[in-house]
Amino acid sequence: MSGKIAIVGAGPSGCYLAQALLKKAPDLQVDLIDQLPVPYGLVRYGVAADHQGTKGVARQFARVFERQGARFFGNVSIGRDVTLEDLRAAYDAVVLAAGLSSDRKLGVPGDDLPGVFGAGRLTRALFEHPEAEDLPDLGAHPVIVGNGNVAIDLLRLLAKAPEELDGSDLGEGPSRWLAQSGIETITITGRSPAVRAKFDAVMVKELAKLSDVRIEVIGAGDGNDPAEAKTLEALSAIHDHGDGAKRITFRFGLTPKAVEGDAQAQAVRFANQGGEEVIPCTSVLTAIGFEAAPGLPRDALISGAADAEAGRLATGLFAAGWFRRGPRGTIPENRADAQALAAVILDDLSADPARVGGAVFDGLDQVVDYSGWCRIDAAETEAAPEGRCRSKLATRETMLGVAGARETTK
Amino acid sequence: MKITILYGTETGNAEMLAEDIQSEIEADHEVDLSNLEDFAPGDFDPECFYLLVCSTYGDGDLPASAQPFADAMEADKPDLSAIHFAIFGLGDSEYDETFNHGPKKLAELMIAHGAQQVGERVAHDASGSDMAEDLAFPWAEAVIADVSEKLGEAA
Repeated sequence: MSGKIAIVGAGPSGCYLAQALLKKAPDLQVDLIDQLPVPYGLVRYGVAADHQGTKGVARQFARVFERQGARFFGNVSIGRDVTLEDLRAAYDAVVLAAGLSSDRKLGVPGDDLPGVFGAGRLTRALFEHPEAEDLPDLGAHPVIVGNGNVAIDLLRLLAKAPEELDGSDLGEGPSRWLAQSGIETITITGRSPAVRAKFDAVMVKELAKLSDVRIEVIGAGDGNDPAEAKTLEALSAIHDHGDGAKRITFRFGLTPKAVEGDAQAQAVRFANQGGEEVIPCTSVLTAIGFEAAPGLPRDALISGAADAEAGRLATGLFAAGWFRRGPRGTIPENRADAQALAAVILDDLSADPARVGGAVFDGLDQVVDYSGWCRIDAAETEAAPEGRCRSKLATRETMLGVAGARETTK
Repeated sequence: MKITILYGTETGNAEMLAEDIQSEIEADHEVDLSNLEDFAPGDFDPECFYLLVCSTYGDGDLPASAQPFADAMEADKPDLSAIHFAIFGLGDSEYDETFNHGPKKLAELMIAHGAQQVGERVAHDASGSDMAEDLAFPWAEAVIADVSEKLGEAA
């Protein structure tokens, strides 16, 4: 089967989709487009720096380019550099796999006070996303609101002693920031009872390896079914762990009502079962989900979709991954999703040889191709200092410089 | 020799490794490749040597694509006493308590139904510095040599 397919977003969903499409139909031209000069999205900027094993899927994604013939068009923003309409005219099918990168806000009074930070904003800064804001001062007593895996990632990173980050790719600046954070306590709160917390038990158990913490789990309650038992078992395994300097407290059944403070977040007021409770803090870190970043009109596309469940937005236009179904599900769920969507796309595909495909990007400056990414990757790996596996290039300019370096010197 | 590579995968890493092993050995052997989710306990053939490649997921669990096979084994209780297999595991020592528990469970399941394991279960660590194939290729070569000797067949 021939045909030209553009996938907007070269993160795990986009890469898995390209992999599945090319496995079923090796003659397709599949192009992955990313607004960053580098591929792999959340594998690079979302999966925690100290979870290098999880990032191992990038080896599969490299094969999609190296052996399956997919092409990478990095540093191309759909909507700004090329309109979605032009892209759709150039390809037989366009798939939006741009993810969801804006932090969902608490939606309570005070949620925009200084000192309230979304998890995405923080992890982008920690993992040196080129568009990240600076790492802020969290003070001695941050409160984390949220009970998903992102919340646990944040908690773990903030609680780690410097030597526990050996082998990671956490950058020099973020490493220094963590070492000097001055954090004394971290309280992590969830709205649900512990048994319905969204984090994976294995993520909680991992906290028992932290060397410089004291962990207390308050009010985990009890549950009956096996999944609930697993969560409770994990929580009870970390309760009372350690006698280190940083005190970590897990709390449940707390629904945020307001962030309080004059010019800065100083406390969170929660509703609990019996009434209200105020937890003082120096900052509030929210990890309660993500929503679409400005750019692509996701809401309109999804609500007007022909068949959103199958991933069909309109004729020749599809949605994949988080962009389609919301910010739920880990890497393997996106793989299963991508395989199902590949079948839908190939079913619908009618190839028109007159479509120009990748030539639609011809007029653009500084498009990074896969070999450009390989140069960035090699430069980052070579520059890794002692105790780190990579030293990320942190700005778009340096990435573009390295990506283009060989062409200009040879 | 007739060899079937069976893989249990969740993220696709075990599938990729299984494909790599197939490419590595297919010049010398007749090699089939199958996802465990497409393989039934009744499909085992005593003439064939089975190379199992299996990851670990979640809290030391079998990966999703191995689960239906495990369920079918429990239900069918096949007699695998004429079956030889070797197993290579994928895991992540970040989660040390359950490191490589997926392949361990799969091996135990095979053995519980009488199958004969050839060689040791070798484990790759995603947080280590080795590439999976650098461990898996020598492993495959060694277990194939082993089983050839055992079955009195030239490799």
